[in-house]
Amino acid sequence: MNHPTETAEATGYGPPNAFDQNVLKALGDEQLHSALRNLVVTFGSKRQAAINSVEDWEGLRDEARAIKDETLAHLDRYLEEFANNAERAGAQMHWARDGHEVSNIIIRLLHERNAKRVVKSKSMATEEIHLNSALEDAGIETVETDLGEWIIQLACETPSHIVVPAIHKSKKQIADLFVAKIGIEPTDDVAKLTSAARRVLRQRFAEADAGISGVNFGVAETGTILILENEGNIRLTTSLPKIHIAVMGIEKVIPHFADLDVFLKLLPRSGTGQQLTAYQSLITGTKKRPADEGPEELHIILMDNGRSRMLAHPVTRQSLACIRCGACLNACPVYQQIGGHAYGSVYPGPIGAVITPQLIGLSKATQLPYASSLCGACREVCPVKIDIPALLLHLRSEVVEGTAAGSADQKGPVKRKFAERLAFRLYAFAWSRPFLYEWAARIARLAQRLIVRQGRIGKVSGLVARIAPPFGAWTACRDAPPIAQRTFREQWREDSKIK
Amino acid sequence: MIETKIEARQEMLSSIREHLAASARFDAQAAHPQTAQRRTQSNSATDARNGTVLDLFRQALEAVSGHCSIVQSIDEAARAVQQVVDERKARRVAVSDSIVVKRILGQLKTEAVFLDAPNQSELFECDMGITATQWAIAETGTLVLESERERHRLASLVPPVHVAIIEAGRIRRTMSEILQLIKNSEVGLSRTVTFITGPSRTSDIELTLAIGVHGPGELHVIVIDEPAQPA
Repeated sequence: MNHPTETAEATGYGPPNAFDQNVLKALGDEQLHSALRNLVVTFGSKRQAAINSVEDWEGLRDEARAIKDETLAHLDRYLEEFANNAERAGAQMHWARDGHEVSNIIIRLLHERNAKRVVKSKSMATEEIHLNSALEDAGIETVETDLGEWIIQLACETPSHIVVPAIHKSKKQIADLFVAKIGIEPTDDVAKLTSAARRVLRQRFAEADAGISGVNFGVAETGTILILENEGNIRLTTSLPKIHIAVMGIEKVIPHFADLDVFLKLLPRSGTGQQLTAYQSLITGTKKRPADEGPEELHIILMDNGRSRMLAHPVTRQSLACIRCGACLNACPVYQQIGGHAYGSVYPGPIGAVITPQLIGLSKATQLPYASSLCGACREVCPVKIDIPALLLHLRSEVVEGTAAGSADQKGPVKRKFAERLAFRLYAFAWSRPFLYEWAARIARLAQRLIVRQGRIGKVSGLVARIAPPFGAWTACRDAPPIAQRTFREQWREDSKIK
Repeated sequence: MIETKIEARQEMLSSIREHLAASARFDAQAAHPQTAQRRTQSNSATDARNGTVLDLFRQALEAVSGHCSIVQSIDEAARAVQQVVDERKARRVAVSDSIVVKRILGQLKTEAVFLDAPNQSELFECDMGITATQWAIAETGTLVLESERERHRLASLVPPVHVAIIEAGRIRRTMSEILQLIKNSEVGLSRTVTFITGPSRTSDIELTLAIGVHGPGELHVIVIDEPAQPA
């Protein structure tokens, strides 16, 4: 019911390489735009107010980045330290090279314990590997318990935002969905919708054999995992069932327990504009005595799934500093227009545009590094100061040079490279010689008569577009002023003669 | 299976090492300014608010829709709890094994049933939970619950109303002080430490705030601030 291909159909958006078509679809969605305006205004102002409540926001960002840089530079060491300490506290550690291995480990653990019903709390890592569909195929009933994720699951869709996954849906659509799927009376009262969800999900929690969660931070020094939330579903997922399985990207580790202070100041403020989210659970191993509350087993699965590759260059390595706050989405003028689904992957927005191509292979997402105006708003708001524009440029150069690791189809880029180089050689040759420059302008002035309509260069089609396709593409949705009848140089020369 | 596990671990660690090694020549070129060193000064939130740690705590808690009563004795605390029990017409109350909670329960006049180790189905039918709490953070109005000190994980989570009792002397100003305290606790770092800041909330539907989605929709904190005894 929740296969990745089907979910793409349910939202009506294609994969990352269908970005151009996805954009057109998103731009035509009026309801999406009003949802996004609400997001930008609400989260924008709350974030600013929350930041103002900290003395030295810039210093905090620097400190967080320094901690992440230090961790990533010695990631092997910190992961081993984390795993050893978590094991000492009673957790069982698993290592998974890719998404398949994560799913297989989880399915094996559940089958061995005859666990059939699973409650899940929101986790981008498990979204990334489409865990739900793998569990479904293995005959395991999985229920998302975060309100937004549950709505998405009922609608057979994918999240459109890292923090508020159902932001693209209106209250009316959600009410209709609840009427159809759980049989409530029609209502437009958010409190009523929320309490209906509480009622239904309570039953799921009561029945669950296992709970699956993500991890926000893993502390090497103590083997502790920390998970943040507002709803309480993570606390229920990690407290009620007998088994707790936590899926953790390898980049989530930080060295010291005291480092949590920095990230607990940055993450809620950047994500939802709160000083602190309602709940943080700090879990270190399993319970000590049988009479204690909580699960009997804690399994932590460390997942690579394309992450270690990103360590190989200082520019790409930054991607692993991301703490998944979603601030860059809210700040991005592109995301603000097209929302999350248009990116065609579970990680949307600026951070998605850099992470997705690295995770799934650049050749499967060649358009995403261009899904940005490079305005730098993402870099300004990023709590760990990831230079996303630099990353986008780095990936663009890999697209053009065809140097990306794992990019199979190198023909396209190489061919384009030749035409582009020739064009820019000619351009450089002509523009560095005043005589040629002026003649080029004169010829262009004559030639443009073919394409000037009502004093503007409008949409170019027909013969011109066929001879020089870039003109057609460039003018498809923009117009431009024509070259002036008298250029500045000509005016200058003639006016000086008069004197 | 164990062999695959070791193999996966080794392979992941070598992949990390290899890729880090491949980065060395780029790292040398990139005059990537080493970002700020760990700072020694604390990142304390700005306090336009004046007053004691207790005042700060109350203001921060109320800002996130929590209720705060400050009382001067355990008897007064019992009266405050009585008031919430009466107002909410509580019938079944999940309670923790804390001594303070037990002392307060002894003074309550109510027909409500108190369950100190309810099974799951009993727990789901409770309409209130009463616990103590080990620490609190004034800046954010946060309660800090250590699982090694008290059985309060479920009583503070499952029922729709949570009443928490804390001594004023256990409130600290900042998160960073609390992290030190729980890490170096004499009972050791608890298997589970829970931070609670206000009632359960969500904004998942059109960013409209809704209180009490999965956890308690009401949080009452009763602070016992006993006046210092003259020596």
